Amino acid sequence: MTPTVSASGLSLRYGGTRALDDVSLRLTAGVTGLLGPNGAGKTTLLRVLATALPADRGTFTVLGHDPATARGRQEVRRRLGYLPQTPGFHPDFTAFEFVDYVAILKEMTDRGVRHREVRRVLDEAGLADVRGKRIRKLSGGMRQRVALGAALVGDPGFLVLDEPTVGLDPEQRMRFRELIAGAGEGRTVLLSTHQTEDVAMLCHRVLVMAGGRVRFEGTPAELTARAAGRVWSSAERDPGAKAGWRTGTGSFRNLGDPPAGADLLEPTLEDGYLLTLDGAGAEVAA
Amino acid sequence: MPVTRQLVLPVHRTVPWGAVGAAGAAGLLLAALTRTGETAERLSLYLLRAAILAFAVGLAFLLDDPARHTTAAVPTPRPVRVALRVALAVPAAAAWWTVALLLVPQGARPPVGDITLEAGAAFVLAVAGAAAAVRFSEVARPGPPVSGGLLATAVLALLFWPGRWALFVPVEDERWAAAHDRWAVVLAGAVVFGAVCAVEPVRRRIRF
Repeated sequence: MTPTVSASGLSLRYGGTRALDDVSLRLTAGVTGLLGPNGAGKTTLLRVLATALPADRGTFTVLGHDPATARGRQEVRRRLGYLPQTPGFHPDFTAFEFVDYVAILKEMTDRGVRHREVRRVLDEAGLADVRGKRIRKLSGGMRQRVALGAALVGDPGFLVLDEPTVGLDPEQRMRFRELIAGAGEGRTVLLSTHQTEDVAMLCHRVLVMAGGRVRFEGTPAELTARAAGRVWSSAERDPGAKAGWRTGTGSFRNLGDPPAGADLLEPTLEDGYLLTLDGAGAEVAA
Repeated sequence: MPVTRQLVLPVHRTVPWGAVGAAGAAGLLLAALTRTGETAERLSLYLLRAAILAFAVGLAFLLDDPARHTTAAVPTPRPVRVALRVALAVPAAAAWWTVALLLVPQGARPPVGDITLEAGAAFVLAVAGAAAAVRFSEVARPGPPVSGGLLATAVLALLFWPGRWALFVPVEDERWAAAHDRWAVVLAGAVVFGAVCAVEPVRRRIRF
């Protein structure tokens, strides 16, 4: 399958910190999840791929266009939708006006076509009833959907979503999952998240980042399989475990190298993720 | 061009006219003080300079854009949006300056061309400062830090600027003409600096 995004050797430093360290990846159609602890470099990678931040080194292409020149960057942006981690708005705009403004910035100059497209994405984002409402009067979840609508307008081939479900309640998160799953049909979506459930439910591929590097690239099933035979249950916290916590049933769930005869449990994606982070030298929450 | 034309109205709505207007009103109040008596008339140059500074502080908010990051990856380049905001502010600034000048009694008015040069340089410096803040930081609202920096710079320049490069001289000072040659240089430098800062870089300086 021809990759939508192909990156090689992306590196970027902030002062003395390597935010990205020789990152190479290939993204194809469907939703790819990007997991990693805070400070792993996820947002930096997303901003670089969204052309919002130039890398110090390395190259990448989006749908065959190289953003290393002003013209190439413009071509990439014509095919891109970007939802930043903390989207900002002009609060006096209505949802419709704001998405319409973004649509003009995306060079949609035919007013009739543009307004139809804005209505389409607002309907898709579940905002049909509030499209005439000022953004300052919308809830956090609705604002997030306005930002998703702005990213979706113009039907981009590559969608970059930076933690779109953060701060949403479970119902809103479920609604967002539906939207992202729909967006992933026929286009490439890169979804940064802290929610392993989001990845398990939505993604056909997953990347795990730590310390500015990609530590894992594969399917969610492959990430889960990394924890096979490395999760066990015990009555007390196992001191040999990399991480362990008391579950609702009162027993401890331990991760690491189990003792002989341990009561092994079915691993989850989160177990695979935590053990991958441990292997990368990152801190594993216990 | 069609994109630019269609952006005029929405960009007009994104400009923080409240901050610009409040600073403009404060500036006009300062200019109007020159009509309050003989002493104030003698101080007209300084009051007019204070008015210029007040309005420049307002113009430092011109590039405030809370949606900066949401619109960071659109094909319409950032310089187009900056240029539109500046183009929308120019008529307002020209009108404000005309009123400010007319508020100063004719006999107390400093040479109009020269003081207009000072005003132009201060206004462009304010916007160039905001463009630099956008270019070199992640800030979405450069207005507050840039306006603070502008005020601090003005005060420090008044106190410590070397006499041989004087900028803030009285009309009767023999250095008046030379000072305004320097104001012209400041204006030209600010225009170039602002234009350079308004452009989005495609590459970062390699730091390895």
